[in-house]
Amino acid sequence: MIEKYKEWYEARHEYAVQWKKKTGGKVLGYFCTYVPEEILYAAGVLPVRILGSHEPQSVTEPHIFAMFCPFCRDCLAQGLLGRFHYLDGIMISQSCLHLRQAYTSWDLHIPTQFSYYLPMPHHVQSRHAVPFLRAELETFRKRVEDWTGTTIGDADLRRGIQIVDRNRELLRTAYETRKREDVPMSGLEAMYMVVSSQMVDKAEHTQVTEDVVRVLEGRSAGRSGTRRLMILGSENDDVAFVDMVESAGATIVQDDHCTGSRYFWDKVDANGGDPLTQIAERYVRRLPCPTKDWPARRRIERIVQFAKEWDVAGAIIIQQKFCDPHEIDIPAIRKALESAEVKVLFLELDVTVPVGQFKIRVEAFLEMFAGDDLF
Amino acid sequence: MIYGGGVDVGSTQTKAVVLNERRAIAGRSIISTGANVTKAAEKAFHLAAENAGIAPDRVGYVVGTGYGRYKVTFGDTQITEITCHARGAHFLFPDTRTVIDMGGQDTKAIKVGLSGDVLDFCMNDKCAAGTGRFMQAAADVMGLSLEEIGPYSLKSQNPSKLSSVCTVFVESDIMSYVAQKKKVEDILAGVHKAVATRTVSLARRVGIEDEITFTGGVSRNIGMVRALEAALGHKMNVHEDAHFAGAFGAALFALERAEKLCAVEVAKVDLTGWSDGEEANGTAG
Repeated sequence: MIEKYKEWYEARHEYAVQWKKKTGGKVLGYFCTYVPEEILYAAGVLPVRILGSHEPQSVTEPHIFAMFCPFCRDCLAQGLLGRFHYLDGIMISQSCLHLRQAYTSWDLHIPTQFSYYLPMPHHVQSRHAVPFLRAELETFRKRVEDWTGTTIGDADLRRGIQIVDRNRELLRTAYETRKREDVPMSGLEAMYMVVSSQMVDKAEHTQVTEDVVRVLEGRSAGRSGTRRLMILGSENDDVAFVDMVESAGATIVQDDHCTGSRYFWDKVDANGGDPLTQIAERYVRRLPCPTKDWPARRRIERIVQFAKEWDVAGAIIIQQKFCDPHEIDIPAIRKALESAEVKVLFLELDVTVPVGQFKIRVEAFLEMFAGDDLF
Repeated sequence: MIYGGGVDVGSTQTKAVVLNERRAIAGRSIISTGANVTKAAEKAFHLAAENAGIAPDRVGYVVGTGYGRYKVTFGDTQITEITCHARGAHFLFPDTRTVIDMGGQDTKAIKVGLSGDVLDFCMNDKCAAGTGRFMQAAADVMGLSLEEIGPYSLKSQNPSKLSSVCTVFVESDIMSYVAQKKKVEDILAGVHKAVATRTVSLARRVGIEDEITFTGGVSRNIGMVRALEAALGHKMNVHEDAHFAGAFGAALFALERAEKLCAVEVAKVDLTGWSDGEEANGTAG
């Protein structure tokens, strides 16, 4: 059943087409995990994340600056190549300039019924952030109501919250099991699990994950004795990369990615109050993306905590080329991890993984842990 | 006598070393890698054994390293050239703390611990700028051999400034200097200086600590040695066998494993009733 995640990941487009056929509902493509999926679920809309395909392409060149990140270019290429032809709408929540250009260019070249820019505040550490976002969410709710012809009442919002929160809870439970010495799932399986949750109906994903979590109790991934690592960076659904690292004798047990822990770690926890305020609070206080993690760097504290609790020996920082918000944090992250005795390997990633060139770095990194065993 | 073998399959040349248990080089070889990597590895290893005057199967353990390490199919294990160069450089110069390894397609900076272990490392990214290939391209366009350009560059009083360290674009850069009738030695000094600057900035990422040891094929180029020293503002260790450092490190790992295996074999033998003399023979076997 854990294989289901990979199936979903590989057949994301077919899944969405089938879902539309089955439910008659609308599908919305989103560019960033600061998009409040709770409100979309409340309206019966299926949010799917727009991710790249990790192939070289030639269609985005006139539309995106050459020094913008490969991820935003890869995302836009998917639209221009018609792979997301089934989308009824697209949206972005303010995250970074690069991805916003991918969104605006998509909107310009592949018009859909609905496109929305949600001005998620950058300064989430401000006391004004929650009321600001709450007001923006109110506007967004109205726009979604107009688009879908439905009314999104507080009860609907609570139902939306419940659907998304239950999935978050289960993903977190699954991640908790990776603290075990004998890890029950590989890093690759965990990656498929989380990324597929951004592609399929949460209710369906939750159903499978309920079973998976039960199975993980008694499961072993057969990776005892391999080196425990965590991976950090922006978006990462590079299955080829994770597979290469794990076949070199490591197991990835935790991460800090928006296709990983940052996406689901924090819940809304509706408690009968105003649901829009609670949703706003969740997005303002969630595990932050570096574009929003200032002046205090809260993310680093969490990374070090993860490293300790998941007992990792090393961390691989994978940097999307030209991603300045992430890059600026790297010296601070490296320092924090190294003072917690976690070794760090830094790799700069492009759209496709130069597996051969990265392999030697990863292998040499793993040899650094071997110490006397090598001699 | 216990022997350990190291085979370093580089992008341009394959180096093999056989060490004896006194940690002395018993035999070695260096050949062009060519298209058939496995064959090159086998050939280099056999030549090294021949050079040592022993049959290849007398070598107790063989470690493959270099970009073609997984093609050393007859080897017992593979270790990356990063770890092997650190070990090899540390053996040649025990106070080594930084290794600069410049090969055919890679340049690496390695921070080395007290026992020759790797503390940190950095490699050139996804392109051949500032590597042996770059030097080859520069030599080709000047109509000189790779061996000539280093000594030639040392004659320069006024190195030219190169705008690019791209292996492909260096050609047009050099051509325009040739057209401007710049002196050959100045252009060549400019080429060496550009590579040295790039390499030193790579090394700064891991932190440069004294002593610095220069390894890899390009360490044989005296022009590059001088250019790097000028950019570092510091002397480097350069061993006459520095291009064997990777194979040498691999052979050291191999020898230690061969010795361990041998010790296990000896421990398995029931020694009760043996005289001291027989025991010594057993250990040596």
